[in-house]
Amino acid sequence: MTPARTITYRNAIREATREEMRRDSSVYLIGEDVGRWGNLFGASTGLLEEFGWEQVKDSPISEAAMMGCAVGSAVMGMRPIVEVMYIDFITIAMDQIVNHAVKYHQLSNGQVKVPVTIRTQGGIGMRNSSQHSQSLENWFVNVPGIIVAMPSTPYDAKGLLKSAIRNDNPVILIEHKSLYFTRGEVPQEEYLVPFGVADVKREGKDVTIIATSYMVLQALAAAQKLAAESISAEVIDPRTLWPLDSQTLVDSVRKTRHCVVVTEAPAEGGWSGEASAVIHEHCFGDLVKPVKRVCGMRTGVPYPTHLEKAVVPDADWIVASVKDVLA
Amino acid sequence: MNQDQLLVLYRKMVELRCLDEMLLELKMKGLIMDGFHPYQGQEAVALGIGTAIRPEDVVISNHRPQGHAFSKGTTSRQIMAEFLGRRGGPSQGIGGPMQFIDVDNSFFCGSIVGSGITFATGVAMALKRAGKDRIAVTYFGDGASNTGSFHEGLNLASIWKLPVLFILENNQYGEAMPVREFVSVYPISKRAESYSMPGITVDGMDVITVAEAAQTAVGKVRRGEGPYLLEAVTYRFKGHYGGDPEHTYRTREEVEQWRQKDPLPRLKALLIDSGVEVGAMAAMENEVSEALQNDQAWALEQPFLTVEEATDHVMIPLNSHIPKERRS
Repeated sequence: MTPARTITYRNAIREATREEMRRDSSVYLIGEDVGRWGNLFGASTGLLEEFGWEQVKDSPISEAAMMGCAVGSAVMGMRPIVEVMYIDFITIAMDQIVNHAVKYHQLSNGQVKVPVTIRTQGGIGMRNSSQHSQSLENWFVNVPGIIVAMPSTPYDAKGLLKSAIRNDNPVILIEHKSLYFTRGEVPQEEYLVPFGVADVKREGKDVTIIATSYMVLQALAAAQKLAAESISAEVIDPRTLWPLDSQTLVDSVRKTRHCVVVTEAPAEGGWSGEASAVIHEHCFGDLVKPVKRVCGMRTGVPYPTHLEKAVVPDADWIVASVKDVLA
Repeated sequence: MNQDQLLVLYRKMVELRCLDEMLLELKMKGLIMDGFHPYQGQEAVALGIGTAIRPEDVVISNHRPQGHAFSKGTTSRQIMAEFLGRRGGPSQGIGGPMQFIDVDNSFFCGSIVGSGITFATGVAMALKRAGKDRIAVTYFGDGASNTGSFHEGLNLASIWKLPVLFILENNQYGEAMPVREFVSVYPISKRAESYSMPGITVDGMDVITVAEAAQTAVGKVRRGEGPYLLEAVTYRFKGHYGGDPEHTYRTREEVEQWRQKDPLPRLKALLIDSGVEVGAMAAMENEVSEALQNDQAWALEQPFLTVEEATDHVMIPLNSHIPKERRS
C-alpha cells in the first residue's frame, strides 16, 4: 500500500465525486453553483471542466425543481448527486425527498429504484445566523427509507460519499461547514466506508462519548483534556445515524459503564434521544449513571461569532458532562 | 381520424366511464378503502392525449390517475385490483388509487399536488440524454398550477429545453376552490408565456379537439423543440372525491349545464351521423360492460399482500453495493 496522504475534507468530497463520475457516466452532479463556482467551498472545483454540462449541472435557485428533477431522473436510471447548498434550504425540497424519493421503491413493490445522493451541509461556523446554520439531521432519521450519513473526517467523507453514490437507496450525506478545511489521512487506493458501521475514533475505558459530525472533533478535544486528568474517554462516531451501529455503541458502554451523547442539534425529539434509548435498552444493568446528553441549545443560532459558538457544545461542555456522569 | 379510429376511441371512452362508475360504487361500498377521485366528465382529455403518445413515452400522473393510466395502456382489470388494494394491481395494491405506479407501462404517479411537474423534468432529462426521442407527459390540475413546483418545473424545463408535455386539466375546481377565484389568470395556459414555451387552451370535453391539439404538441416536443403546456378545459361530473359535500361549492344547475357537454354522447352522435348503426353501438356498450363485470369479479377474488410482503421494500438491503469481503 502506498502511504496515505493528508488532504482536506473538502478535497475528499471532490475526489469521491470525481472518481464516481469517471467510473459511471450515469452519475451527475446538480445543484446551485456546483459548476461555475465549483461549490461554495470548492468541493466541485474543476469538475465542470472535466465532465462538461451533461454531468455537472448548475441549477437555478429552485430547490423543489432540482430535487424533483433528480428524483425523476433517478427513477429512469441515472444516479444524481444533488447538492443542497445549505441544509436550511432543504425545506423547499422536502416534498420530493420525503414523499417521492423515499417512497417510490416501496410504492412500486420493489420495482423502482431511486439512487439519489443528497449532499448538503449544516451547523455553525460561518456567522450565517439561524437560517443558514441549522442542524436538521433529525428530520431525516424520522423518515423510513433514507440513509443518513454525517462524516466527521476526510476519510469518512470520501468513503461514505462513494458508498452513497453506488447505493440504490436514497442517501443524505450531511457535511459540516466547519469541517471543509480540516485535514486527515486518506489512502491513495480506492476504498468505501460501509453504512451502519461506527468508528471508534479514540479508545478509552472510563466513559463512552458518542458524537456526530463536527462534535466528534469537540469530543476528541474533550478526551484530550480529560486524559490530562487521568480520565480515559472512548470517542465513538456512528458515521451513519441511520442505519445505526448499535452493537459498537453497546459494546463500548458495557466496557466503560458511563455514556455521554453529543450532538449539535437540540436534544428534544432528536437522534441523541434515540442513541440514549438504545444504550438504556441494552446496557441498563451496566450503567453506573443514566446517559447524559450534551446538545445544542433549543434556540435559533444567533449571528455574532461568540454567540453562535455559545449555543452549541464545545470541549468544555463535554468535559463538564463527563465529570458529571463519573461523579 | 377515420371512422374505425373513432370507434376504437369511443369504445375506450365507454370502458373508462363504466370503469369509473364501478370504482365509485366500490368506494361507496367501502371495498375501495379511500383516496378515490372520480374521473367522469374528463375522459376526452386522457383519451385524446392517448392518441398522440407512444407506449415508450413516460407518463407522470396525479391523485386522479385512472383515466391517464387506462389511456396509456394499463388494463381495467389491473386498475381495479390496485384500487382495491390487492394483488394483481401493478404494485400489488400498495399504492392504491392515488399512488398508482405501473412500471411496465412507464407510468408514474404521486398524490402530492404539483409534485409530478418537477419529477417529470427529471424523467425528461434522462430521456433526452438517452436520445431516443421519447417524451415525458405529465397531467396535473388547475390547482397544481398555483404551486411552486409548477413554476419551478416549467422554468427548468424551459431553460434546459426538456422534452416534456405539460397537460393542465382545468376541471374548474381545486378540491372545492373554484378556478375563477383561485387562479390569477385566464386562460391558465397564459402562464406558459412566462416560461417561453407554447401554451394553448382547448375544449377538453371534445376528444377530437384534444387529440388534434395533442398531435401538434407531442410533435413539437418530440422534435426537440422544448416543453409545451396544453390546457384542456373540462369538468368533473362527480365530486373531488366520491361523496364530497358538493353543495358547498357548486350548484346542481351548473353540473347539469356541463353534462350537456358530456364527451361520450358527443362522440356517439358523430359516429351515428357518419353511419354507424345504433344497434351495433349498443351491443358494443354491453360487451364492454360485461367484460368489466368479469374484471370486477376477478379483482375482488384477489388476495392482499401480507404485512411482511407489504413492508418488504422500504429499502434495498444495505451495503449490497460493497463486495462482501470488504464490508467491515
